[in-house]
Amino acid sequence: MPQLPPLEDEDRILRVWTPILLRTILIISGIILLIGLALMVTQSPGAYVARVRAIQSGQRMYEPDPWLKMFNLGMHGDPRQIVMVGLVVLTLVPLARVAFCFILFIRERDWPFVFFTAYVLSGLIVGIILGRIG
Amino acid sequence: MLEILGGLIALALGAGFVGALSGLGGGVFIVPALVILMHVPMYLAISASLISVVATSAGASVAFVRDGWTNLRLAMVLECATVTGAVVGAMLAGYLPNWALELIFALMMLQSAYFTISKKGDQILPRGDPLTERLKLGGEVTDESGHRIRYGVKNIPGGAALMVLAGIMSGLLGIGSGALKVIAMDYVMHVPLKISSATSNFMIGVTAGAGALVFLSRGEVPTSLVAPVAIGVTVGALTGSLVLPHVNTQSLRILFAVILVLIAVEMGWRAAMGI
Repeated sequence: MPQLPPLEDEDRILRVWTPILLRTILIISGIILLIGLALMVTQSPGAYVARVRAIQSGQRMYEPDPWLKMFNLGMHGDPRQIVMVGLVVLTLVPLARVAFCFILFIRERDWPFVFFTAYVLSGLIVGIILGRIG
Repeated sequence: MLEILGGLIALALGAGFVGALSGLGGGVFIVPALVILMHVPMYLAISASLISVVATSAGASVAFVRDGWTNLRLAMVLECATVTGAVVGAMLAGYLPNWALELIFALMMLQSAYFTISKKGDQILPRGDPLTERLKLGGEVTDESGHRIRYGVKNIPGGAALMVLAGIMSGLLGIGSGALKVIAMDYVMHVPLKISSATSNFMIGVTAGAGALVFLSRGEVPTSLVAPVAIGVTVGALTGSLVLPHVNTQSLRILFAVILVLIAVEMGWRAAMGI
């Protein structure tokens, strides 16, 4: 793959750190998901099958647990909550990446891009709030 | 139990693999696979797919960003449009009936099939318009003869309008909307195809993430389904991206287009019959 010429500091930092950030969070969430799934299918295989059947029949999903409660139950070995923690961590990958860019652009005083990243961050947060109340 | 778990992982592996080879992403194949083969209701398949798409985008983006194919600044500007659309789309998905989602999905599959067989060459601009130059959205790319050339970007408003639509489709249908994103960048903004494909892949993570956060906050994420699907799609996509350089994708394009048309027909049939 051809290499690009030396980049401005801002771009260089983004290209070095963004892949590291993405890969690290992806690996962490993958490990949590694997642990949760393994516990789910080994602790109560019957319940796992019953849940999949309920999903297939279109049964209503669980009401949303507060995220703090979910982390607490996950820490106590509840397989479903461990999977939920893994999924939340996975979904936070883009949020973390945008937050990282936001901080970098503030440091570099690149104001148009501070605005763009702030807008994207607020869009992601609005999504969480709308999901809770909508 | 092993039958269900193995089936889910195998489906997700296949969807991720074909999604990576076709350049359309796993969501386009995982949603119909879950709906048609596993009999999962459409809106739950959408939530499972959105989370998987975040994983595949993050995995595939690592190499593209590191090697300089992703235009990070352009992605950050256009993400404003896709995130807005994705939140709206994910909210709508909770209220639309299954048949409407299936019908829209069928239409999107036809659009993706057309995109797959009609990709054209680049029309590279040496300079962009004043706004994009001021925001430093241009970059450099290697042309067919191996020379490095500068490319400019134009028409942010036109591209952003299509990106809002791509975001809505992503949140609504659980797909990355890569085909729409590449059309916006390649055809409307004149970004070279390789750059627009890598940049689209990068943006898909944030777009799908915005939609996935809405579903997660609503508690409408079937954990028993999502965990094996996310793991399977990610492994499938990573395998696909490793195989990709050794495969002549030109010859596979017709096959992918046929598969997409068949999915469109099946989803359209289900919408018409109210299945």
